[in-house]
Amino acid sequence: MRLSIQGLSLGYGRLTAVDDVSLDIESGDMVSIVGPNGSGKSTLLRGIGRLQRPTRGRVLLGETDIRSLGARQVARQLAVLPQSPDGGADLTVRELVYRGRFPHQGILQRLTRTDFEAVDWAMKAADVELLAARTLAHLSGGERQRAWIAMALAQQPRVLLLDEPTSFLDIAHQVEVMELLQRLNHDGITVVAVLHDLALAARYTRRVIAMREGRVAFDGAPAEVMEPVGLAKVFGIAMTVLTDPESGLPIPIPRSKASLTPRDAIATDRP
Amino acid sequence: MTGMAAESPKQGSALERRVPARLAGSTVVLLMCVTGLLAVSLLSMKLGAVHLSWNEVWGGLTSDSEPLARNIIWQIRVPRLVDAMLVGAALAVSGALLQGVTRNPLADPTILGVTAAAGLASATVIVIDPRVPQWAIAAACAAGGLIGAGVLFVIAYRGAVSPVRLALAGVALSAFFGAAIVGLLASSRTFLQTSLGFLAGGLYGSEWRDFRAMLPYLVPGFAAAILLSGRLNILALGDDVAAGLGVVTDRTRLAILAVVGVLTAMAVATAGMVSFVGLVCPHLARYTVGSDNRALIPVSALYGALLVSIADLIARLVISPSEVPMGIITAGVGAPFLLYLVRFRE
Ligand SMILES: Nc1ncnc2c1ncn2[C@@H]1O[C@H](COP(=O)(O)OP(=O)(O)OP(=O)(O)O)[C@@H](O)[C@H]1O
Ligand SMILES: [Mg+2]
Repeated sequence: MRLSIQGLSLGYGRLTAVDDVSLDIESGDMVSIVGPNGSGKSTLLRGIGRLQRPTRGRVLLGETDIRSLGARQVARQLAVLPQSPDGGADLTVRELVYRGRFPHQGILQRLTRTDFEAVDWAMKAADVELLAARTLAHLSGGERQRAWIAMALAQQPRVLLLDEPTSFLDIAHQVEVMELLQRLNHDGITVVAVLHDLALAARYTRRVIAMREGRVAFDGAPAEVMEPVGLAKVFGIAMTVLTDPESGLPIPIPRSKASLTPRDAIATDRP
Repeated sequence: MTGMAAESPKQGSALERRVPARLAGSTVVLLMCVTGLLAVSLLSMKLGAVHLSWNEVWGGLTSDSEPLARNIIWQIRVPRLVDAMLVGAALAVSGALLQGVTRNPLADPTILGVTAAAGLASATVIVIDPRVPQWAIAAACAAGGLIGAGVLFVIAYRGAVSPVRLALAGVALSAFFGAAIVGLLASSRTFLQTSLGFLAGGLYGSEWRDFRAMLPYLVPGFAAAILLSGRLNILALGDDVAAGLGVVTDRTRLAILAVVGVLTAMAVATAGMVSFVGLVCPHLARYTVGSDNRALIPVSALYGALLVSIADLIARLVISPSEVPMGIITAGVGAPFLLYLVRFRE
């Protein structure tokens, strides 16, 4: 399902966190959003996911403005996993995943076979079957993250928005989560993920959108946009970009701040 | 949707999961609870200023053969028992809703000032006209409860939700309305005895007209509580997750607080300012069936009914033929429990 973001601005009180962003995300694409802390990535994701009312602009899901759809209607097609959700600590993983069925259920929330199947599939896909009976509060950060991903999957969305789904994960689980997202994407789900790990973004997503100060700094295929000058501009730190000998994809590596060359310093607009 | 068919799980295990494990494990406790309610009911019919024999209870309940017993049972003890159960259930459900919506285990209609808001409305109409009919008291309480809940919503949910802010707002409201009530009662000619019963909470002299006055509010109130319980489960996951799952968070909170306002108000209209029932019962229920509000809310209601009917029975018997305010008994149970919570739980 195609997402069309048109002149979207979002803020908190007087602060503008996302400033007039326009993006088209094609159905079935796999997109990462990168950028420094506070650059508006989470806010943009919240705007796309209908968690926050925009101050200007709109988001089209397919052909329809998400504001004209009901919250539940949107939730049936689009799942958002916020950055480090903190609720539900006393739930078991299975209970949590069942809650992902909420937008599909009637007022009495009677469970149907579709619910069972969706939950079983989601738990299997996110590899939390062995954790099913464990309480969320007693899981490691990574296990908990996978439980939340399972909940979002139980929603059976066509579009999946994830805010830093790989933070807290060890390398193996980072790769596992990214491969899970890739599989889902192969099955036709549009995936948009905020990522801090640039190498992961380059390796697993087809399009990288970089945010800086609420605006899009660069946007394109990783091999094209992930180059030292552009990255230095966004992150304010000198970068070297290696090439993965296996895939030919870029692997950005940060250099120390001190090694910022005069040319880079000009490029970052920083003293 | 996509990819589902290929990885579809085996069917056999699905049925077993239909009954959540915690609910199945707690059947015994629930049966005991129902048995307890039955036992309290029988004792409440038998014991009192006039002790009836079991034969008289049976005769009075089922036939005209014992006119005196029949009168005592049907006109005094049964209505009071029913009122007690409904008051308990209303307070316990209010407490469960509040603890859920604030994500704060210490929330309760008394602590957050809803009881006092309804109480102020009740005291006001009674002081204006001591002969005011019960239905009017109920209506005034409902208005007061709704206002209290509304004020709470505005104060606590402007901007980000903070449990601390909510608790502080509640304490302030509670103190403010409480002071107004005492001021009002002290400056009126209302009997001190009545005031005391009202402030401490009790079911002295409650009868069928209290029941009739509560019913039009309690039926939709309880129904709404049940219908909102699923959304409350989702709210517990945090605001962003809830919004992502299609719950309009502010509207849901407002609806839940309105239900709390109405249910609490009915308890106040009938029994005055009973405290701690709304705090204790949801915790006991959580202990029994876990935190799924679809189970937690009905089970809280059951515990509330049990607690208040037992407390009222004790209140009637300790210094019989006179009686103590029932709220003293619930506070006697609730206050130590609160201390326990503060000391031993996060
Ligand atoms: N709830 C809030 N209230 C007020 N300001 C906020 C709120 N959330 C974010 N902001 C501000 O909005 C701006 C963008 O924040 P946002 O969370 O979108 O950044 P981000 O790119 O996701 O950062 P991070 O990488 O640290 O998660 C920041 O300046 C932040 O301080
Ligand atoms: Mg963020």
